[in-house]
Amino acid sequence: MQIAILSGKGGAGKTLLAVNLVNLIDEANLIDCDVEEPNGIFYFPIDYKKTDVNILVPKIDDKKCTHCNKCVDFCRYNALIDFLGKVKLLPSLCHSCGGCKLVCEFDAITEREEPIGVIYQGDYKNHKIFGGELNIGKESGIEIISQLIDKADKKTVNIIDCPPGNGCSVMESIEEADYCILVSEPTVFGLENLKLVYELTTIYNKKIGLIINKANSYNNVIEDFAKSNAIKILGYIPFDKELSKLNSNQKIVSDNKRFKPYFNKIIEQIRQEVDL
Amino acid sequence: MKKILVLSGKGGTGKTTIASSFIKLAKSKNFADCDVEAPNLHLVYKQGTYNSKPYYGLKIAKINQEKCLNCGICQDNCRFNAIDFNGLEYKINPYKCEGCGVCGFVCPQGAIDYIDSVSGSIDLYQDNYLFSTGSLKMGSGNSGLLVTEVKKQLDKNYEEITVIDGPPGIGCPVIASMSGVDFVLLVTEPSFSGFSDLKRIIETVEKFKLDFGVCINKYDINIEVSNKIKSYLKANNYSFLGDISYSEKVNEIINNRKLVVDSNTIVGKEIKDIYINTMKLLNW
Amino acid sequence: MIIALPTKTSGEKAFISENLGRANYFYIYDTDKVDGKSFINNFQNEAHGAGVKTAEFLMKYSTDILITPRIGEKALEILLETDIKIYKATEKIARENINDFLNDKLEELY
Repeated sequence: MQIAILSGKGGAGKTLLAVNLVNLIDEANLIDCDVEEPNGIFYFPIDYKKTDVNILVPKIDDKKCTHCNKCVDFCRYNALIDFLGKVKLLPSLCHSCGGCKLVCEFDAITEREEPIGVIYQGDYKNHKIFGGELNIGKESGIEIISQLIDKADKKTVNIIDCPPGNGCSVMESIEEADYCILVSEPTVFGLENLKLVYELTTIYNKKIGLIINKANSYNNVIEDFAKSNAIKILGYIPFDKELSKLNSNQKIVSDNKRFKPYFNKIIEQIRQEVDL
Repeated sequence: MKKILVLSGKGGTGKTTIASSFIKLAKSKNFADCDVEAPNLHLVYKQGTYNSKPYYGLKIAKINQEKCLNCGICQDNCRFNAIDFNGLEYKINPYKCEGCGVCGFVCPQGAIDYIDSVSGSIDLYQDNYLFSTGSLKMGSGNSGLLVTEVKKQLDKNYEEITVIDGPPGIGCPVIASMSGVDFVLLVTEPSFSGFSDLKRIIETVEKFKLDFGVCINKYDINIEVSNKIKSYLKANNYSFLGDISYSEKVNEIINNRKLVVDSNTIVGKEIKDIYINTMKLLNW
Repeated sequence: MIIALPTKTSGEKAFISENLGRANYFYIYDTDKVDGKSFINNFQNEAHGAGVKTAEFLMKYSTDILITPRIGEKALEILLETDIKIYKATEKIARENINDFLNDKLEELY
């Protein structure tokens, strides 16, 4: 069972929800796909095994290269340039399409591995925690996300903490999800961002539910939207200064007696939608 | 003219709330929203005549079914799994295609063309002010180009304060948003993740040798972390511009599409102080 | 000596562009010939790597000095490996920036 957690923007409460669902669901695993700003894994202070993630980039054999510049002209991402009589690669612009190797008529291009980030993996009680981190200056973490999703056992419950927004990395994260949970704050800004991810889940025909975080007297801003689009509201996480503080210190708030019931209630609602 | 850019690293820290207030305080008639993945400023400022033009990203592949012989070579060579076979014909998945050009190169039939695909829009509101914004379509890769296009619509001869609401993160759009600005206002919040993202954005801003100052939003949610951020700023000789308290009133004001600085609240006053401190640093 | 500047319009009286990679034009000035010429920037609308292509362009025209208000990370990474020196442009027009450079009035950016 793959459950993806999404929001249009950072700071909506995705990680808060993901971490606490994992904590309260027996044998559930966390897959933190927000590789640009990994935060989920730091709630579980355990020893992580680190594995490098590489992508393929071209390697140019200067002896064979005749400087015809076919590869330079072919590259749509401008990752290859004509540099003082040599073809030079800018790995951070390379999308690993393999095109340069195909167009080279002199077999001067092979491929090598270029590190772009790491995957973290560890055990917390009976949960497996997976996360990744993209190196600063690298453009796309798609490969890390795709490897993260492959790592988790599909038979167990996997909670996928998606990157914010509705870009390609979110698409990669939700592609195999059985259920998507959207998280939003009850403000007009929150609503605007919620619409973005809602559109994405409809394109992918995903079954969805909604959580209102920092719930207050303005919940109707989001509730009206949910109602008119027939989206089930799974629950509310009220705004609470103590909860915010615990969470900002990267503590698992559902270990606290006062906050545990919020999340248990949400899990009950999720169980009505899918088999956990 | 002075151009002020508001950035945060982490999303959801209150960038737009502060940018919209700065626009009002500076009586700016020239401003932009460069957070093209999730633009919000238009929820506050959206008046006057509206002009929108399509934004084209990289061209993507399209298979000409009349020429295609279903050999599947394109699919074998596509590294993005962007070509599907539905039992009848090969089709490009426009959300996955990155426009690399490999399929067109390997196709023995010349059946693949690269066509313009609309990746978003570039929008302009004109009233007694100029408000430039844009939005990126779902699944489009982030690009500094759209940010640059949005900024190009601003009035270059404007002599007062121009305010730009920037994108989150530290990637290419953020770097594009920094060109030509005089000052970067960084908005952070007192959490572990807010603090670590603040350090990453400072590193990025410093690379471009831009002046910047930091304010802490909702500082009273976690005073210990707020103090840590302040001592970090002090130790590095970075400018601290002020604290903003948490207040439930802010949600009420935003939901009524009003500006926090127009309200008679503590938060409104705190943002005004930050504005005054910013102007002092700018010698304005 | 070849001096290059990103400009908003063409000609020596053009104002300096805020961007390097996405400038509309490059003004290339040859101090030996005491003459300059504007080139349209064919890569200003590239979705990726506009700065990188600019670096390539500057090398192609054997630039010695680049005068620009700022430079992106990738273009900088390339140019630092070359002998091209980078100076900080002021808000004046291209011609005045060149004069200021020749009179040692510009600061080195990197």
